[in-house]
Amino acid sequence: MTTAVPTAPAPAAPPAGRLRRHRPVLLLLAPGALALLLTYALPLVWVVRMALNRPLDGGAILQTVTLSTFTDVLASSHYWNVIGQTLQLGVLTTVFTLLLSYPVALFLARTTSRWRSLLFALAVAPLLISSVARTFGWMAILGNQGVVNKTLLAIGVIDDPLRLANNMTGVVIASTEIYMPFAILAMLAGFGRLDPELERAAASLGAGRFAVLRRVVLPLTAPGVLTASLLVFVLSLSGYVTPRLIGGGRVFVLATEIYDEAMNSLNWPVAAVLSVLLLLLFGLVVAVHLWAQRVLEARFTGRGRSTS
Amino acid sequence: MADQPAAPARAGYLRLAGLTKVFPGEGGPQGAAVAGIDLEVAHGELLAVLGPSGCGKSTTLRMIAGLIEPSAGTVEVGGRDITRLPVHRRDMGVVFQSYALFPHLDVFRNVAFGLEMRKTAKSEVRTRVARALDLVRLGHLGDRRVSQLSGGQQQRVALARALVIEPAVLLLDEPLSNLDAQLRGAMRDEIRRIHDETGITTVFVTHDQREALSMADRVAVMNAGRVEQLGTPEEVYERPSGRFTAEFVGRANLLPGTVTATHGAGGGAGAEVAIPGLGTVRATGDAVTPEGRATVMLRPHRITLRAAGKADAGPRGTVLSAGYSGEVIGYRVRAAHDGPELEVEHPAGAGTAFGPGAEVLIGWDDAAPRLVADDGDPA
Ligand SMILES: Nc1ncnc2c1ncn2[C@@H]1O[C@H](COP(=O)(O)OP(=O)(O)OP(=O)(O)O)[C@@H](O)[C@H]1O
Ligand SMILES: [Mg+2]
Repeated sequence: MTTAVPTAPAPAAPPAGRLRRHRPVLLLLAPGALALLLTYALPLVWVVRMALNRPLDGGAILQTVTLSTFTDVLASSHYWNVIGQTLQLGVLTTVFTLLLSYPVALFLARTTSRWRSLLFALAVAPLLISSVARTFGWMAILGNQGVVNKTLLAIGVIDDPLRLANNMTGVVIASTEIYMPFAILAMLAGFGRLDPELERAAASLGAGRFAVLRRVVLPLTAPGVLTASLLVFVLSLSGYVTPRLIGGGRVFVLATEIYDEAMNSLNWPVAAVLSVLLLLLFGLVVAVHLWAQRVLEARFTGRGRSTS
Repeated sequence: MADQPAAPARAGYLRLAGLTKVFPGEGGPQGAAVAGIDLEVAHGELLAVLGPSGCGKSTTLRMIAGLIEPSAGTVEVGGRDITRLPVHRRDMGVVFQSYALFPHLDVFRNVAFGLEMRKTAKSEVRTRVARALDLVRLGHLGDRRVSQLSGGQQQRVALARALVIEPAVLLLDEPLSNLDAQLRGAMRDEIRRIHDETGITTVFVTHDQREALSMADRVAVMNAGRVEQLGTPEEVYERPSGRFTAEFVGRANLLPGTVTATHGAGGGAGAEVAIPGLGTVRATGDAVTPEGRATVMLRPHRITLRAAGKADAGPRGTVLSAGYSGEVIGYRVRAAHDGPELEVEHPAGAGTAFGPGAEVLIGWDDAAPRLVADDGDPA
C-alpha cells in the first residue's frame, strides 16, 4: 500500500525518508482523523473542562478549575440513586436480553433449514425500525390502557392494571426487546467454535442433551455471549429514549439525568460531571470485558497471560 | 457376495441387518446412500470398510453409532437390538475424521470426558486416563491444549478418548486421512497394536486399500451403498468377486476372453480362456458366463517382461511407455499388435529396464490369473 514512491529505500531508511514514504497513507488518514478530532476528541476535552467548573444559581457558570462539583455530585444520595438505577437497568436488561437471545442465536447458528436466511432476517428485522418507534409501540402495549392490561382485565385474570409502564419493569421489558437483535448478531459472530461434530462426539461419549449443552455448547459459545453482554450492557447504560419515554419521568438513569441537568436546569457543570462518570463506568466495563475475554481465550489456546 | 466368510460359525457380535439410509430429497440414479447392508463383525475383530468416496461408508458408520437414524434395518450388539437407542446410551467409541476434540478442554479433560459422563470416581478417572494416554504414547502431554498438538497427536487423543470408556464397539471414520504418509504408516501399526492390546471390536472406515489390507482381519468392500465383497484381505485381493473389487482393491488388468475348457469345482475350479493377443491362459475360479465367456484378472506385478529374441515362443508385446516411481517401474504394454493393453509393474533395479518401443515377451506367474465376474460396473 505504501509503494507509491517507486524508489522505495531499504528497510533502514532515515526517519525523513520513512515519513516521505508514508505520506500517502498519512494523507488518506487525515480526513478521518480530523473528523474524529472535531467531533469526538474536542467535545470530550470540553466536557472534562466543563466538569471542572462550578454551577451558580440561575444557570450561570463560574469558570474555574475545581473538583468541588465532582465532590458535590458524589456526596449526593440522589446521584448515587441515579447511578444505581443505571446499573440496575444495565444488568437486568443484559441478563434478560442474553437469556432470550441465546436460544435464538443458537438455533440460527445450528439450523440447516433452508429457511435459515429468512429466520435470520426476521431476527434482526427490528433494527429496520427506529428504537423511538419501537418504544412508542411498547408504550401502547405496556401502558395502563395498553394491550396487555386490557386483555388481562377483560378475561378477568387481574382486577387492577399491572404497573408495566412508567417504571423500571417497563423500561427493562422494552430495552430487552430493542437490544435483542444486537445481541443475536454479536452472539452469532462469536459462535465460530460451535461445531455439530463436537456435540456428536460428546453424545457418543455418553453425554445426554443437557450434558452436551452444559459441557460443550455453553463453553464454546461463551465468547459470543461475552461480546453480546458487553454490547448490550454498554448500550443500555447509555440508553436515553427508552428510559425517558417508558420511564415516564419516574426512572432516573445517567442519560436522562444528564439531559435534564443540561437542558432543564441548565446546570452544565453537573451534566459534565455525570458524563465523565458515565465514561468512567464504560471504561470499567470494557476493562472487565477484556479481562474476561483473555481468561476465556486462555482456555482455548492454553496460553497464559504471561505469553499472550 | 459369492465369497461369504469361510467360517460363518463365528457368531456376529456387531450385526447389521438390511441397514438402509435414504436421505430426504435423495433417490436419484444411485438410490439410497446405504442400500441394505448385512454384516456381522465377530467379537474382538477389526473390520475395515473400504470403498470410494460417497459410497456410504460414513453413513453406515454413523448409523452404527446412532448419529444417523436408519431408514430401514437393524443394528445389534451382543444380541441386543440397539437400532432405536439414542447415541449417548450406545456405548460406542467414535473417532471422527476431523477428530472433534473439545477445544475448550485440555488433553486430560478431553480423554476424561466420557468417564465423567459415566460418573466414574475421580481417582479412577485419573488412573484410567493416564493409562489410555500411555497406550497412545501421549502420557506426557495431559495438560496441553488441543490447539497445541500436531495432527498426529490430536488423532491419538481422539483415539484415547474413545478407548478409555472401554466401548462395546470402536468406530473409526478415516482417522488417518489427515496425516502425512509417514505418520499414517506409523499410526496404522499403532491402531493395530492398540486393537490387539485391548481386543475391542472395531470397525474402521477407509478409502485407502493399503490401510484396509494391512490392518484389518476382514475387509468389507463397499460400492454405491452396498457391500460388494466381504472377506479376509487376502481373499479380497487375490480372489475378488467382481470387476469393481478387482479394480478398487489394488490395480488389475481385466482381460475378457472365450472359455475353451473348464475343470474342477468349488475352490479348485479353473478354466482355460483364450484371450486375443495372449493366447490361452489357465485361470482359477468359476466365474464363467452361460455363453462361455470370462474375464481374467492379472495383477500388474504378477506379469513379467523379457527381452524378446527372434526365436522365442509365447505372447509378445510392445512397450508403450515406462514410468519410474522409485520402488517399481510401471510399464504399459500392447500385447501382440492389436491385443489388449496391459499394465505391468517390475521392481526397479531388478533385471532389464525397457524403453518405449521395446519388443518384449510377456509371461506371468502360473497362479496369478483369476476369473472375475464381470458385473459391468467399471470403477
Ligand atoms: N446429510 C446428508 N444429506 C443428504 N445426502 C447425504 C448426507 N450425508 C451423505 N449424503 C450422501 O450419501 C452418500 C454417502 O455419503 P457418505 O458420507 O456415507 O460417503 P463416504 O463413503 O463416507 O464418502 P467419503 O469417502 O467421501 O467420506 C453420498 O452420496 C452423500 O452425498
Ligand atoms: Mg466419509
